[in-house]
Order: sequence, then structure tokens, then C-alpha cells
Amino acid sequence: MSAQDLAGSSRVILSSTVPLSYSFEKKPSALVVSVVSRVSLRVQQAAFKSELVESVGWSRGKGSYAFSIELRRKGFSFEHKVRANPFELTIDLKPEEEPTEIAPPVRSAAVTEAPGGAAALPPAGRPTGALDPNKFRTIVIDPGHGGLETGAKGKFGVLEKDITLAIGLKLKDIIEKNLAFRVFLTRDKDTDVSLENRSALANNHKADLFISVHANGSMRKNARGSETYFLSLNATDEESRRLAYMENTSGLLEGQIEQENQDDVKMILWDLAQSAYLKQSSLLAENIQAGLNELLGTLNRGVKQAPFKVLTGVACPAVLVETAFISNPEEEKELGSEEFQDNVAQAIFLSLVEYFKSYP
Amino acid sequence: MTKTKWLVLASIVIILAVLVFIFFWGGAEEKAGREAESPSSKAPTAPLETAGTRMVTLFFLSEDDDLLHPEEREVLSGPSLTDDLETAVIELIKGSAKDLVPPFPPETRVRQIFVTKDGTAYVDLTKEVTENFAYGSSSEMSAVYALVDTLTFNFKDIKKVSLLIEGGERETLGGHIDLSRPLAPQYSLIAK
Repeated sequence: MSAQDLAGSSRVILSSTVPLSYSFEKKPSALVVSVVSRVSLRVQQAAFKSELVESVGWSRGKGSYAFSIELRRKGFSFEHKVRANPFELTIDLKPEEEPTEIAPPVRSAAVTEAPGGAAALPPAGRPTGALDPNKFRTIVIDPGHGGLETGAKGKFGVLEKDITLAIGLKLKDIIEKNLAFRVFLTRDKDTDVSLENRSALANNHKADLFISVHANGSMRKNARGSETYFLSLNATDEESRRLAYMENTSGLLEGQIEQENQDDVKMILWDLAQSAYLKQSSLLAENIQAGLNELLGTLNRGVKQAPFKVLTGVACPAVLVETAFISNPEEEKELGSEEFQDNVAQAIFLSLVEYFKSYP
Repeated sequence: MTKTKWLVLASIVIILAVLVFIFFWGGAEEKAGREAESPSSKAPTAPLETAGTRMVTLFFLSEDDDLLHPEEREVLSGPSLTDDLETAVIELIKGSAKDLVPPFPPETRVRQIFVTKDGTAYVDLTKEVTENFAYGSSSEMSAVYALVDTLTFNFKDIKKVSLLIEGGERETLGGHIDLSRPLAPQYSLIAK
């Protein structure tokens, strides 16, 4: 038995090694779950802290158990899902809507002022349901370069690989503090990671989003600004034909690939897995670029497309963020500052919240 | 007696004369034929030096924007397409004669160029191309597309360009642009 807060709701999970039959009884500020089991159960409860759920108590009857989920307030709604083998009953509890104040949501305030980091989104006054709390999400953050591969270099010695890692760690932190998302980093220290392993990590974790963080470099001294890329396809004619076929069945891509074994078709398709997600990727890029424009004060270089190797094999919406130019001495200083790095992480975080409103 | 003597002598003289005539005249005819041929290949004798040259448009960066800027240059041409391609790449690496910014490390050398039937030019460069620059996304895109666009723009038989380094395939120059497939030109990156 465990409980946790999601965005706008709280989730209680009852899991068991044996299958259970269950029923609900709703009270004004409590939900009682009655469970019937032929074998006797040993109840284990994980500690939790929740804004909505005050406590979960249980009592044993004859061949049955009653779990009482006590809430801190009256008026709630709930939904449940069940999974067999192993048995897992997931109950999502939502506070009943209070009459919503019509206040324009202030983007930056929404997160920074969240108390204790728990259930910070959506804040009071903001329409709930913007983020579907029933959906777990997995975000993979890819700090560009690393190890011997330094990436671009600044005049004052700032290295791209260090900036990308710092921002990546901050972004992971913000997401985890505010949302019940799983976040993975392709690297959390200064090591070499191949481009293939970066996309493989996202695919292995069945990521919902892949965000590669970079700092730009140009031969032009005065190049400056922020831009967000999504993949431009650079397929061969033969691959294009295969993709044209796959486009009609893009949702099935993953399923189809899994059934097949290590043959060429699979390799070619994995290699270009991103092609099935270009539309979502472009929307994600738009959101992130808007976020960067709002928070960074850098030159808006817009959303662009290029055949980035790290994006080609990612089987989910994926973007590459060029935060600012390390080759520009002014922006190099910015990139090295905690404040700027915090702002980048904040901007990307807010943007992906926006994105999930479009793709709940 | 004397009559026959004279006749024999006369006939000998005639035969000799005919032989001499054939010898000189026949040779003269052959020679004339040869001479008639050779001037035709040298016909426009005046532009002899420019006959082996061509104009190429090279693409470099400018300090003003992020686009590729054309610079025309007269270079030696021929005999084969791969020679022309190599010359263009060498000139591109050499850099701008004006104040445009070179997209490649100038120490880079061309190892080999070959063209496949489908019109893909494989350009094999030395390791300096990756070792001497720490590429960011922008500089990497400039390098890759300055090369691709230069070759496809100047040579209509070239449809795509593939980059090799020290004879082998490389994923990227510096962690960004995918080199594992031949690249089509990006003329949208060229300044108008």
C-alpha cells in the first residue's frame, strides 16, 4: 500500500501478490475500499506525505479487509484502475473543484512558490485536469557531450559538456520536485556516452519525452541567441519508402518492431524511429522556444530542423535545445552563471508542462 | 642500238621521276592531312590557358548572419569529374579570398573523392577536420552544408554528399549532425 501526490490529485496504490476482489464505499471525506481475500493478508504500508490524503487505516473482518482512505477535506471524486498479475489497484483521488477564480496563470510564479514541492501543479485558481494525473510520464534528459568529447569551447575556457550537465541536473531536480514524473539523465557525471546509447536509454525506459541540452558554438564571434531543434529527416530513398508506409501506422511502430527480431527492417526503422514523432517534436520545440524567449532574454533564433544524430533513433517526441552561444564571450559568461542555468531549466520545465496540456 | 639505249634511259628517268613524284607528293599529302587536323584542336589558340579552368561557387560564412555566402573563383579543371570535385573542396578548405569565415580547419586535407552511380560524392578528409575544431551545432552545420551545397550547386551530377574521415565512416564531426547517411543539399542556408 502506498500513496503519493500527483499534479492536481493524489494516488493510492494497493498492490498484492495474490488477486483480490474489491468494492468501494464513498463517504464525505473518506473512501473505504473493501477487499475480499481467501488467504490472510499481511498489510504493509509505505510512509507518505500528501496534501489530500490524511491517512489510510485498515481493519480486518472475516475473510475481508477494509481500507479507509481519510481525506483532509470534504468533497472529492475518484477513479480507479486495476491490473492483474501482480494485482495492483490504483485509486486516484481528486478534490472537488472549488469555484475557480479567473486569474491568468503566472508562469514563473506557478512553480517557484510551490510549497514543499508537493502537488505544485496546477496551482490554485488554475483549471485542473490540464495534466492527466492518471498518466505516469518518463522524461529523458540528455546533457550533450561529456568525457573526452568536450563539445564547443568558450574563449574563457567554459566547456559545453559542463554547462549541459549542470543544466540537465537542475532540470531533473525541478521536474522531480514538482511532478510525479520519472526522470532519467543520459549521464549524471562527466563521462563519454555514445549517441546511440543516449537514444537507447530513452527507448528502453519507454520515455514520453527526450530533451537534449546543448550550448552552441559558431565560427562567427558575434553569433548569439537560443534556438530549439527537432529532427529533419535525412533518409535514403529506400528508407523513405519504408517510412511512407510506416507513417500511416506510426502508433503501431513500437509494437511492430518488438514482434520482429534482429532483422534489417527493424534496424533501419529504429535508426529512424524519430520520423514517426516529428509533429509532436515540432510542437514541443515551439513550446520550449517560447519558454526560453520568455525567461532568458536571449536573442530568439527560433525553431529549426537539422539531422541531429542523437535524435534520429529516439522513439518519442524529442528536441535538442541550444541554450546560448558558448563561442560568444558575453553568452559564455551567462552560461557559466547559476542564475542563467536555473532559468534555462525553469523555462524547459514550464514548457513541457505546456506541452502535456496539448498532448494529455 | 643507240635508239634502244636512249629508250631504256628515258624509261628509267621517267620511272625515277614518277617514284620521286610519289615519294614527295604522297608524303606532302599525308603531312597536309596531319596539319589539317591539329590546328582544329588548337583552333581558338588565344584562350589556351583558360581552356583548363572553370568557375566554381564556394560557400563560406559571414560575420553578419548565419547563412552561407557564395564566392566565385576560377579554378583549374579536369580531366575528370572527381578532379574537379577535389579542386572545389581544396579551394573551400583554403578559405575565402574576401573576408568571409572559413567553415573548415585550414589544415584539413582531401584524401580521396569518389562518386557512386546514384550521384553521391564521397569526400574523404583527413582527421584535422574533427581534431582541430571544437564544433558547436552552428559551426558543425556550417561545415557540413558548406561542403554539401558547394558540390551539389556546382556539379549537377552530384545529388548528395557523404563525408568520410581518414577513410572511414564517422557518426558526426563533433557530436551533432548525422554523417551516417549521404546528405542532400540545404539551399535554404544560402544567403540571397
